[in-house]
Amino acid sequence: MEMFLSIPFLIFMPLVISLLIMSPLFTRNEIVIRRFVKGVCVFHFLYAILMLACFDPANPYVSEIHFFGLDWIQSLGVKFVFKIDAISMILTVLTSFVFLLASIASKLNIRKNHKFYYSMLLLLMSAILGIFTAGDMFLFFLFWELEMVPAYFLIAFGDNENAKASAMKFVLFTFLGSMVMLLGILLLHYYNYISNGILSATFSDIIDSSIPVGIQNLIAVCLIIGFAVKLPIVPLHTWLPDAHTNAPTPVSMILAGILLKTGAYGIFRFNYQTMPDSFTTIAPVLAVFALINIIYTAFIAYAQTDIKRIVAYSSISNMGLILLGLCAFNKLALTASVFHMVAHALVTCGLFMTAGIVYLRCKTRDINSIGGIASVMPRLFGFGVLIVLASIGIPMFAPFVSEILTMLGALNSELSEVIKFSAIFALPLLILSSAYMLKFLHCGFYGEIKPEFEKVNDISIHEFLILAAVSAGLIIFGIFPDALLSLAGGM
Amino acid sequence: MLNDIFNILLPQMALGVFILIQLVLSMILSPRFYKFSRLISIIGISLSVVLLSTVQTEPQYFGFKNSIMSDSYTLLFDFIILLCGFFTALLSRSLIRSRKRNAYTFQAILLSAVFGAMNIVSANDFITLFVSIELLSFSTYFLIAASKGYYSKEASFKYLLTSAIATGVFLFGVSYLYGITGSLNLSEIYEITATQETSLMYSIASILIAAGLLAKLAVFPFANWIIDVYKGCETSVLAFLSTIPKLAMFGILCRLLVFPLGSSFELTFVLVILSLVTALWANTYAIRENNVKVIFACSASANSSYVLLAASLVSVYNLSTVIFYLICYVLMNIAVFAFLNIYGDKNSMDVNSFKGFFHKNHGLTGAYAFSIIGLAGIPITSGFVAKIYLFTAIANSGLIFVPFLLALLILTVVALYYYLKVLLPLFGEYDKNTEVKLLNPVFSQKFVLYLTAIATLVLGLYPERVIELCRFIAYNI
Repeated sequence: MEMFLSIPFLIFMPLVISLLIMSPLFTRNEIVIRRFVKGVCVFHFLYAILMLACFDPANPYVSEIHFFGLDWIQSLGVKFVFKIDAISMILTVLTSFVFLLASIASKLNIRKNHKFYYSMLLLLMSAILGIFTAGDMFLFFLFWELEMVPAYFLIAFGDNENAKASAMKFVLFTFLGSMVMLLGILLLHYYNYISNGILSATFSDIIDSSIPVGIQNLIAVCLIIGFAVKLPIVPLHTWLPDAHTNAPTPVSMILAGILLKTGAYGIFRFNYQTMPDSFTTIAPVLAVFALINIIYTAFIAYAQTDIKRIVAYSSISNMGLILLGLCAFNKLALTASVFHMVAHALVTCGLFMTAGIVYLRCKTRDINSIGGIASVMPRLFGFGVLIVLASIGIPMFAPFVSEILTMLGALNSELSEVIKFSAIFALPLLILSSAYMLKFLHCGFYGEIKPEFEKVNDISIHEFLILAAVSAGLIIFGIFPDALLSLAGGM
Repeated sequence: MLNDIFNILLPQMALGVFILIQLVLSMILSPRFYKFSRLISIIGISLSVVLLSTVQTEPQYFGFKNSIMSDSYTLLFDFIILLCGFFTALLSRSLIRSRKRNAYTFQAILLSAVFGAMNIVSANDFITLFVSIELLSFSTYFLIAASKGYYSKEASFKYLLTSAIATGVFLFGVSYLYGITGSLNLSEIYEITATQETSLMYSIASILIAAGLLAKLAVFPFANWIIDVYKGCETSVLAFLSTIPKLAMFGILCRLLVFPLGSSFELTFVLVILSLVTALWANTYAIRENNVKVIFACSASANSSYVLLAASLVSVYNLSTVIFYLICYVLMNIAVFAFLNIYGDKNSMDVNSFKGFFHKNHGLTGAYAFSIIGLAGIPITSGFVAKIYLFTAIANSGLIFVPFLLALLILTVVALYYYLKVLLPLFGEYDKNTEVKLLNPVFSQKFVLYLTAIATLVLGLYPERVIELCRFIAYNI
């Protein structure tokens, strides 16, 4: 069995297929392309599940690629090395799952340039998998940059005029962040070399304790700024609502479900794991930022009238919670953070799907002009209620588990009182999430139906499949959280 | 003397012979046979590449009473310069078609420019250096003016004026240096300045010499020519202009910074400031431009400034990154201008006139887009590796340069914006009403575009061998 499990295959298969689809030899028939991509995604998901099944947290998968016997940039000690430990494994399977859902959802939302769209989708998949599995700083950075190219084109696929501008905004913000991050990586690489004498950029070769403290903090701040754009942390979040609102529904699902997690993963991998000394210094400050994330964006979400914007701002709020869990710097909170990444990915996929379905049927995203569609779309309403309840943290659903555990972990934090206070302040403010989420549900679905919406159809089989998968995930992880928790805790 | 020619100057001599052949043929052949001129250039450059193998490099060879030298460093630069010359000659088809009467003259001037550039890198004497720079400059004036129309003449004249001033500044610096050391030979000056206490006069002389050389690189005091010159220039000449003078100037500038000018702290400081100012100017200027040629002019200037920043913080490691960056950069630049050459100079160079090209021709536009992505420094291109490698050099130079590096990194974000401005219309929807111009490349243009784009990809995935070569050469300077 072990011989079939190959990390390069897992990561580069979508890339190769993407090039195949792009090539002029491949058919232009949209149905063939769509089904082919769906098949690839199903296969990839099964393969990822197989890897998960054979996964042993004590022996992470490691794979190193050589180019004709040489490392990638040997002069800098940069290797093409991939490592899948527990958190990478969880996020890899999650990525595969969300892309599967997105490829199914693409049928109804993408009307032109199928060839280009699907090849960009698979390219993005490869890049994100690369981020989650890279075992080398520069390799991580390579995939981090590579991911911008397909992400731009996918966001720009949106059907309104602002899509291109939002995509540009996304790229410039991300690139700005990644350039500051690059500075951090370069400094970390250099100071690791002069302090420890190891010319290597592999995460496991970095010993942060011998680097001078001031420089450690400088590096940590540079890295955090890079990740803060993606996460996003509040002053750097302005690209997110635009990009998520204007992107097509499947792309919004990917952005909120997976792309934001790359920021949290980066903080975990670089700051939390590789440079723990400096992270403990700046964690209290970050915790304050996380608190601001939770409160501020929750209020903004409540003020929105565009259904996709509500979901987008709720994503930022939830990412604040994940950040708080990382800042607590103990195992319980970290496990809970990872769990919340999965739970939030499921919730946000479901919410964006719901919003996308409503938009597709009603041709508007204004919450005040929808109203009353519960009577014509009962099945969507059922799923909508379920997912909204899950997102506000009702017991028996996955987010409940992760929110409670994150709070517990943060309250048990031994780092600083600031983190405990942040947790205490964040706890009641989670109620705000029920405020905006129930507004989403209430204004959208209840009330008198407008005459123009009386003829809209209920969800189709594809949409049913996606919503059912998301709901099943939420319920399963809500009732049996232990499978995921023990895997995430096994780090 | 003859011995020296056979040991180090055979490639240049081969070019010289072919220049004479071109000139003689231009007098006796009818313009109908204009096509042969390109063929002769290509043969000449290929022969010169072959003859590079005869050059003595171990460890260094000085000829002509120490005024010309050769080592592995000059050999590598000669090779890249010849390669760029080869590509330029391949791309010159459309230009000589429109100026059949002058085809042979054009090719002769192109060869003499390559000749001059090779001599600049090999120069070990300020007189040789000056003469070679003038040879390159004069050839460049005529190459810029070669295409039809008013703008090329205007561009040529602007370039002439800037170059003349820069040369004056350069000579002024050289005269000061001669006054201080009593010698014009680079090795002798290095011996004197390395052992003696340096004076302020020495620093001033160094700054003036460097500033004179910076004109060809479009770095700040002499940067403003680049916009108008690129606007008025034919694309095949641009493929020349954006590579060969740059290679030659960086080739000699790095050597000067290591040896005769290396003892001046003020020079480093001035160069760092100048390169930052240039990066700021070029990147912000390009934001509001819509002309592709102007955007690439700004890109050329900005890239020069990145390289200059690394080169001015002199170290062996930095030198290797500079060489690697230059190799990657010239390949990407030639790919870009090869595509524009295929597109045709007569068409509008507005970014929006490229709309929807990707859907018309995947291969050519894909290669072009890939090269632009490389210039922006996005993986999996050689530009990404080169940028990272160059920036490690600046980061390794000391904590004091971190703010400069940060400024540079933020400016590359601005650069991404204008590269995207060129890139994105390619993938957009083309208007059904307006006719999309068909790309009709000939074999030579396709060859150049694909070859350089593939080289960009290969160097991005497998840079290690070339980096090793660059390190070897930097250690042997």
